[in-house]
Amino acid sequence: MTEGPAILAVENPEELKVCCSTAYQRDAVALILGESYHPGGLDLTRRLARSIDLRTGQRVLDVASGPGATAFLLAAEFGVEVDGVDLGDQQVAAANAKAAANGLAERVRFHVGDAERLPLPDESVDAVVCECAFCTFPDKPTAASEMARVLRPGGRIGITDVALDPDRLHEELKTLAGWVACLADARPVEQYVDLLADAGLKVTLREAHDAALARMIEQIDARLVAFQMAKVPALDGVDFGTARQRTALAARAVRDGIAGYTLLVAEKA
Amino acid sequence: MTMTPPRQKVDRDEVFLEYTKSICPVCKTVIDAEVNVKDNRVFLRKRCTEHGKFEALLYSDAEMYFSSLRYNKPGTYPLETQTEVKDGCPLDCGLCPEHKQHACLGIIEVNSGCNLDCPICFADSGHQPDGFSLTMDQVEAGLDAFVRSEGEPEVVMFSGGEPTIHPRILEFIKMAQDKGVHMVTLNTNGIRLAHDRKFVRELAELKPTIYMQFDGFDPETHIKIRGRDLREAKQKALDNCAEFGLGVSLVAAIEKGLNEHELGDIIRFGVKHPAVRSVAYQPVTHSGRHVEFDPMQRLTNADIIHGLVDQCGDWFRLSDFVPVPCCFPTCRSITYLLVEGETVVPIPRLVDVDDYLDYVSNRVMPDMSVRGALEKLWSASAVPGTDGNTGNQLECATCGIDLPEALKDIADKSFMVVIQDFQDPYTLNVKALMKCCVEEITPDGRLIPFCAYNSVGYREEIREQLSGAFVPTIVPNASELQPILLTTKYGSKTFGNGGNGGNGGDGGDGEARPSRHVPADATNIGRNLRS
Repeated sequence: MTEGPAILAVENPEELKVCCSTAYQRDAVALILGESYHPGGLDLTRRLARSIDLRTGQRVLDVASGPGATAFLLAAEFGVEVDGVDLGDQQVAAANAKAAANGLAERVRFHVGDAERLPLPDESVDAVVCECAFCTFPDKPTAASEMARVLRPGGRIGITDVALDPDRLHEELKTLAGWVACLADARPVEQYVDLLADAGLKVTLREAHDAALARMIEQIDARLVAFQMAKVPALDGVDFGTARQRTALAARAVRDGIAGYTLLVAEKA
Repeated sequence: MTMTPPRQKVDRDEVFLEYTKSICPVCKTVIDAEVNVKDNRVFLRKRCTEHGKFEALLYSDAEMYFSSLRYNKPGTYPLETQTEVKDGCPLDCGLCPEHKQHACLGIIEVNSGCNLDCPICFADSGHQPDGFSLTMDQVEAGLDAFVRSEGEPEVVMFSGGEPTIHPRILEFIKMAQDKGVHMVTLNTNGIRLAHDRKFVRELAELKPTIYMQFDGFDPETHIKIRGRDLREAKQKALDNCAEFGLGVSLVAAIEKGLNEHELGDIIRFGVKHPAVRSVAYQPVTHSGRHVEFDPMQRLTNADIIHGLVDQCGDWFRLSDFVPVPCCFPTCRSITYLLVEGETVVPIPRLVDVDDYLDYVSNRVMPDMSVRGALEKLWSASAVPGTDGNTGNQLECATCGIDLPEALKDIADKSFMVVIQDFQDPYTLNVKALMKCCVEEITPDGRLIPFCAYNSVGYREEIREQLSGAFVPTIVPNASELQPILLTTKYGSKTFGNGGNGGNGGDGGDGEARPSRHVPADATNIGRNLRS
């Protein structure tokens, strides 16, 4: 999975993992979400970086690095070296080009790779970040153990992600499993904590940032309205009425505490 | 015998925030000032050795004031400055080399005469026998100075007085355009636009953007602010603009207790009218002529924003209004709306403007093109209009948020809302003034920050130069000053008590002649402790 949650209908939920790399999905998702958007924006990225206590000169892995906004921020503001890993080869190429253009190629590199088979050696990084992506990994235990594998002992992992209670999720959102990719396989916070613990990562901090998710849903809704106004050709055939009903349901799920956004920090023993 | 209880220390009831400079609102002498926060409101306090202590409300929502401060863009050097640093801010205008920003917007007041005599007029204009009317040469000299300073100036606004009654106004607009000014705006009460369709047609050929006074719909509002019920004229002027294809920004002067209840109605009207592309709300500037007011209870930008949210809760919330980073960020806030029929979407809900315009947190900027586009939108030089910069920048900004081709015709659906609080002799804060990017262009080739021009004495000085008639020092019509105020021949106030205090006027009769309208700085007294 490459970037953030998908929100348009995925025809076949089993294809979730690759949905974002199909051309139509890329266009549509980028249209609605923006290239590098995740709940909380750059401010939450900074908070995540401070929560894992990043120090100048450290080496950091960004899992699902997308177009690289997080990696560039970490390199520029925290003075770290960053390896970004992402499924999408075009994204990776574009991000590397941007690093070169900004004179950051020495310190920021992007690699094509799968979160379940990270292309990095054991114990090779001081910290791992993963924003709004863990929930989309189909094999979460493997993804967690891969992050643990590349992390040095005592290193920290910082995750921000959608957390939700599937049992309480509204039927219409549940049956439209692929509609909001993040909601599709997001778990309650306790399950994330257990998944990380099973991989040898002890959670030391959990913080709720539900307002960031509410804000993102609202932004999606505002963009749907704008696109409807502008009659965007790429979105021909999209049923805006239904789409907005679902954003309303998602917003309600956040309000009711069924869905939220969580920041987790875990440490490798 | 009783025991005296031990004396208890008492805490202050305010937070001391900033130390700055201001002026005495009476004699205009430069004095020290402090900014304090009390009960979530921001106040400026100062003391003149001659006229006593003054305090005024700067911002009625301290939290909003604090969060605005992050939207502070590093200034840009103009190509040249017009004055030297001699006495320090605000006595060297301008621009002097210490000014922190170039001019986004230049204003040329082409006359002092007006076809109205409004009870509220910061320019103190009207049917007056001793006014001025600029010549082509004078306007050209001002424009040339502006071009030397800016290269290709963004915006020139022709104002007055009432600029539409100047016989050469069309030539002035043409001249500005010929000199490479990107956008010309015309600041008018709309009366001539209502009654002279030939003039509107001629104007439409030059396509300036019209800034039209528009304060509300209650007859009471018109009478108290403009002295006449102008509802019909305003409607006619707007309809004429629509017919001939002129874009209009409605400019609403809002005064406490007069028309704050009409904030929502004004924008709902504007969004529906085909000529209107923008609404600018301005708390009444207590410079020049105005109704009596209490400086501690005046309206601020925060009141306008809260008022809009209260009156248009279906459209707005507080976070939709984003401070403008080119000037001092507490001076002006802007939002843009996409409008279609009854559907309204504020642009800040589509894109995280903070990620681009918060200059304090953001040291890394992945996408400069988005920031650049947003900077042009959130700027004092942003002028609404399909063929102007705003439309293109909206497209560019939205491209930045990945709406390729998507919102191509977005300019047709965009609507700008500006909230601008100009400083007056009570609220003048040199810290904000030093980054002002709205300048009065004078025929002697100076670019004087607008709020300095209105507050410090420059307006009186220039008017006296241009008209040859004595102009007394204008003093705010504040309740607490009533005992010392005299009415000037223009309807504004000056102070009595002999009047000139070494530099002021003597009030209404125009006999005494002040030596200088801009008195010396009383804070930089040029000596050390033991001298």
